[in-house]
Amino acid sequence: MWKNSGICYLLALAVLCLRSLTHSQEIGSLGHPKNLRCVTHNLQKMICAWDVSFKGRHGQTDFCYTTDDFPLPVCFKTKEKRIEIAVPESSTTVTITTNSISGTTLATKGFEIHKKDISFVPLTPRILSLTPDFSTSTLNLKWSDNGSVFPSGLDAFWQIQILRKEAMEKVTQVTYYSKLTHEDTILSWNWTSDMPLECTSHYVKIRCYINVTQFAGPKDWSDWSPVEEVPGKDTEPDGSGVFPQDTVVAVGSDVTICCVHEEGQQIQRMTYGPEIYPLIHLSSRSSAIRVLNASASDASGTNVVCMLSETEMDGTVLFVGYAPDIPQNLSCETSNFLIIKCTWKPGRPSGLYGKRRTKYSLFERISGKNVSCEVNEMNRERVCGFPVLPDQKTYNFTLGVSNPVGQTESSILVDLTQRVRPKTPEKLTVSGNSSTSVHLRWFINGSFAELRLLCQIEINSGHSEQKLHNVSIPGGKYSTYTAHLNMLHPYTKYQFRVRCSTADHFWKWSDWSRVEEHTTWEAPPARGPDIWRERSPSGKTLKVFWKPLALSEANGKIVSHEVSCYMLETPLEYKEVIEPSNSTEIKLGKNDCVITVVAKNHAGLSPPSRITSVELPNDNVKTDRAVAMGNGIYISWNSYPNMTCGYIVKWCHSSGSEPCRVDWQKFPSNTTDAVIKSALFRPGVRYNFSLYGCKSSGYQLLKNIAGYMKELPPKRAPNFTVEETSSDSILVKWEDIPIEDCQGFLEGYRLSFAKGEKDALKPRLSESGSPELKVKNITDLTKKSLKILDLQGKTSYQLDLQAYTAGGLSPPNSLYVVTKEDSVGLIIAILIPVAVVVLLGVIASIFCYRKREWIKETFYPEIPNPENSKALQFQKNICEGNKALKTLEMNPCTPNSVEVVETQSAAPKIEDTEMMSPAADTTVLADGSDSETENHVVVSYCPPIIEEEISNTPMDESVGSSQVVYIDIQSMYQPQIKPEEEREIDLVTTAGYKPQMQLPISALKMESRSPAEEELDKSAGYRPQANTNTWNMDTPDSPGSVESNNENASFGSPCSINSRQFLLPPKDDEDSPKPSNVGWSFTHFFQNKPND
Amino acid sequence: MAAAGSPSAALRCRDLCSRGIRLAGKMRSDVIDLLDTYVEQQGLDASASVAAVEGVPVAAVERWDELTGTQRLLENLAAYRAFRALLAQMLEEQQEQLGEADAALGRALTAVLLQVSAFIYHLEELLRLESRGPPSEEGTGPPPASHLGLFERKLRGLGVLRELAQWAVRSARDLRQLSRTSPGSSSAPSPADSP
Repeated sequence: MWKNSGICYLLALAVLCLRSLTHSQEIGSLGHPKNLRCVTHNLQKMICAWDVSFKGRHGQTDFCYTTDDFPLPVCFKTKEKRIEIAVPESSTTVTITTNSISGTTLATKGFEIHKKDISFVPLTPRILSLTPDFSTSTLNLKWSDNGSVFPSGLDAFWQIQILRKEAMEKVTQVTYYSKLTHEDTILSWNWTSDMPLECTSHYVKIRCYINVTQFAGPKDWSDWSPVEEVPGKDTEPDGSGVFPQDTVVAVGSDVTICCVHEEGQQIQRMTYGPEIYPLIHLSSRSSAIRVLNASASDASGTNVVCMLSETEMDGTVLFVGYAPDIPQNLSCETSNFLIIKCTWKPGRPSGLYGKRRTKYSLFERISGKNVSCEVNEMNRERVCGFPVLPDQKTYNFTLGVSNPVGQTESSILVDLTQRVRPKTPEKLTVSGNSSTSVHLRWFINGSFAELRLLCQIEINSGHSEQKLHNVSIPGGKYSTYTAHLNMLHPYTKYQFRVRCSTADHFWKWSDWSRVEEHTTWEAPPARGPDIWRERSPSGKTLKVFWKPLALSEANGKIVSHEVSCYMLETPLEYKEVIEPSNSTEIKLGKNDCVITVVAKNHAGLSPPSRITSVELPNDNVKTDRAVAMGNGIYISWNSYPNMTCGYIVKWCHSSGSEPCRVDWQKFPSNTTDAVIKSALFRPGVRYNFSLYGCKSSGYQLLKNIAGYMKELPPKRAPNFTVEETSSDSILVKWEDIPIEDCQGFLEGYRLSFAKGEKDALKPRLSESGSPELKVKNITDLTKKSLKILDLQGKTSYQLDLQAYTAGGLSPPNSLYVVTKEDSVGLIIAILIPVAVVVLLGVIASIFCYRKREWIKETFYPEIPNPENSKALQFQKNICEGNKALKTLEMNPCTPNSVEVVETQSAAPKIEDTEMMSPAADTTVLADGSDSETENHVVVSYCPPIIEEEISNTPMDESVGSSQVVYIDIQSMYQPQIKPEEEREIDLVTTAGYKPQMQLPISALKMESRSPAEEELDKSAGYRPQANTNTWNMDTPDSPGSVESNNENASFGSPCSINSRQFLLPPKDDEDSPKPSNVGWSFTHFFQNKPND
Repeated sequence: MAAAGSPSAALRCRDLCSRGIRLAGKMRSDVIDLLDTYVEQQGLDASASVAAVEGVPVAAVERWDELTGTQRLLENLAAYRAFRALLAQMLEEQQEQLGEADAALGRALTAVLLQVSAFIYHLEELLRLESRGPPSEEGTGPPPASHLGLFERKLRGLGVLRELAQWAVRSARDLRQLSRTSPGSSSAPSPADSP
């Protein structure tokens, strides 16, 4: 209020100033009119206004104007300084006369107004309505164009401004174009806000510009219309919430979400999903966040939470998904002419579910019919049904797809008669009373009148390939269809199934019907059986064989075979042989006849098979070998021109004790070889084939053939013996191998020999790789013996004999033979040394005889001088090393004992020295034997340790001069060499040195040590320090920690044979306190030992 | 337990109580699992505090130990009838919002709804044993949720499940208390048994 009063004072002051100014003008001017200006809003009337310099009270103004068309002046009296007159065609002359209150004329002024001086400013547009759609954040603006006052066809431009917030910040400004139609038209414009309209207030204003091209004067935009407002929720007293509420947007959109709260509340944070977003201040009660490039939300949407306090929150759910994809593979067909089923693939999932899911509708353009489709969202292929319309063949379908984010469509034009996929045939039945034909009936649910159906019948039988039989049938309404099938096999179990399609325009097959089975009736066998005959060795009976007919030839179940024997049309014998027998015997005596065999089933008899019993003689029958093929046996023969009716190869399968089963195979007369195959053939079994030639007069044996399907190595080697042995040769003889053990055609023998004693562990000669191995290959199968020459006398030889076939070598048979001694050589070996000895004796005798005087003088003088006797002088005293020659000195001797005297003043480095190990005492104690005198050897020490310890350890004077005797450590190793001995020795005494023994410190770290190893360690360690707990630990600076004991424990133990260090710690008294003195002295070790 | 004078009625009451306690235990376990599924599926914060939701009965009671057996049964019955209506509403909303997108949540909700229905049957049987009979169900439907936004509905579902879990605990104790009291007496239990 106080502020407003201030403004009032200022205004009053300004008015006073102005009044004083006009008063001065009144004095200076006489009320002249000036600044005449004219503006038109509708091109017909114009408003002219002028100024008058005299601001005081004056009377009426006379306004007169003339135009070119109307030269007489038209006058008005007005009290205002503006007047509305018609817009002149070209120009008008205006005279304005101002009068005083009393009526006297103050001033008169004339003006010339040309048309180009008149301004055109359209009237300010008025907003008729501004309607918000909060769900879509859209504003709808409506206004009138006032077009009735303007000529038709003028271009109108409308500038619309959108403002937001209390501060009316400009959001956007657009220009809308329209054409005037000389009528008042209501124009409408929509604007979608990027911010929900609830978030804050929105304002709209509008102005226009009409482009009147024929108007000569200046044209200008109208004034802005008054602002129209859409208030936000933040203006409502109790308005609050998070906006937009539960909306759907497209993936990749930029979304603004605002939180409107009550006055006094404060937004703590706003989250979109799990993320916190920065707040954008809109008003005191509203803030927003902006989510850019929104990604697809979960099925339940993305939560936007506005936290107002720790316990108070508000929120909304935003669904972000994809617009529907264009349906792919849209296809429509009918299966029954009742419903058209359209299928498609939906493409990319929209990510929107439930009531926001993608919805489909099928629109048929020709009929204008529309159906909505209920589809399963989770199904990959969508299906929609459309009813078949009467008398409509062609359908133009448009599949409309829409979801809240967008919509699309896909179209297809369908001729329904070309898109028929009949329903699956039902009720298939098969009937028939014939051996070769059946009748099929089935039903299809659907109306296929005026169409031809093509039905496919699948025929399956166990012993023939699958067949498909097509039949074309006229279609019917819900009809049963039939088909007749011929050319079937008798007595065969068939499986039938049917599927159908349209014959004229094939589209798709229906699904297969269920399978129906049917067995055709029996028919007489198609042919007679394959037969053979063999005379018995006595020649009185004839055995007739026949092969069972194949299923396709038997045409039923064979119940028996009728065998007859005819001699010149006279039946000699008739037999009916019941199945399953496949041979019979006929007593013929010496006669011959023609044998006929007929197979018989329930439907009748087969044509007869005939064979003559005559066997033509052949003296020159050879036996050949067949070739093994792995899966069969290859046999060949020369062509025999006389054999007019072919060849027969006969063979026999023998299995164990059962009689040989005859089999045969017939070949035409132009055949000269064959591969005989049989499931009964086994590898390594010899089969004997007989080749018969067929003449009109009978059969003739041409040759015999032996063969294997596959040759294997012989099962065993031939038995062999040594017939004769000399000092340099061995004669070996062997036996034949039985044919059943050969498993192939024998190709030879392999005799291997080499020096060798009989030893079960010895490998085979061939595997031994002995350089002295010699091999003899005997390929002459008639040879049954072999003499091995050039052997050494009185030597053991190993002989291996193997047989071999094309399949390989048999296992060997082995023999050990010792050659006889060479007697001549022995005699020579004895005689030569004897002769040499005798010869030497003779020479010595001669020499002695000749020098007898000298010998006597030297060895047997008459007065002997012992000092001159060289025979009693020794080269060296082995005990003392005294180089002086002494004869028979009886001084006591201490062999192998060397004494080492250790003194403090000795050199700091101890070299290899002879000494006795303290362990020797233990050994003596343990076994009770005195080993002291037997173990005097040189001992090796570890110079570095010794050197260090000696230098660091203070010496005890009394001990330093004492003499200590040690035995050699290495001597302790000796018992370790023989493990058998070791086992017998007491554990204490076997505490030998293990050069690579594990030290205790590492043993502690090895968890996987076995108890046996531990026991071994306990018993087998070298222990020169027999009782370490008695070691003198008197080094003043020795740490007493237990941890250091381990290091100490290994200190001074033997390291290896070559090492000069002791490696092993004491192990025999684990329970006793362990040494804890790092500064253990080697000298102490020696010094303390005697005290033990 | 006014009408439970006969030994057979007492036995039946005890049997119903023990079975009800087992059912409440199972229901609590399933509701806890369902809560996890619900929170995850709806994208909610498991630790979010939900203010008391309109129409959701509250398990907490000030003077629990002073309630009579009949009062306990009636309060339980009213609560579970409300839960049954609320769960059915949740199930319907879940179908509407998610369709076939999350069948597992729908199955779990259906299972809990069945358990609640079974528990209501138990309570009604117990009330019949009291010679009182269950009160009619008029006006026990949930308040309409159409005015609620989806986020509020999610929160309400969370509140319903949390409170149902609380009720399962309280019901087990209520029934245990009922089974302890001797037939024919409606005396209040000792304060030591208060939840």
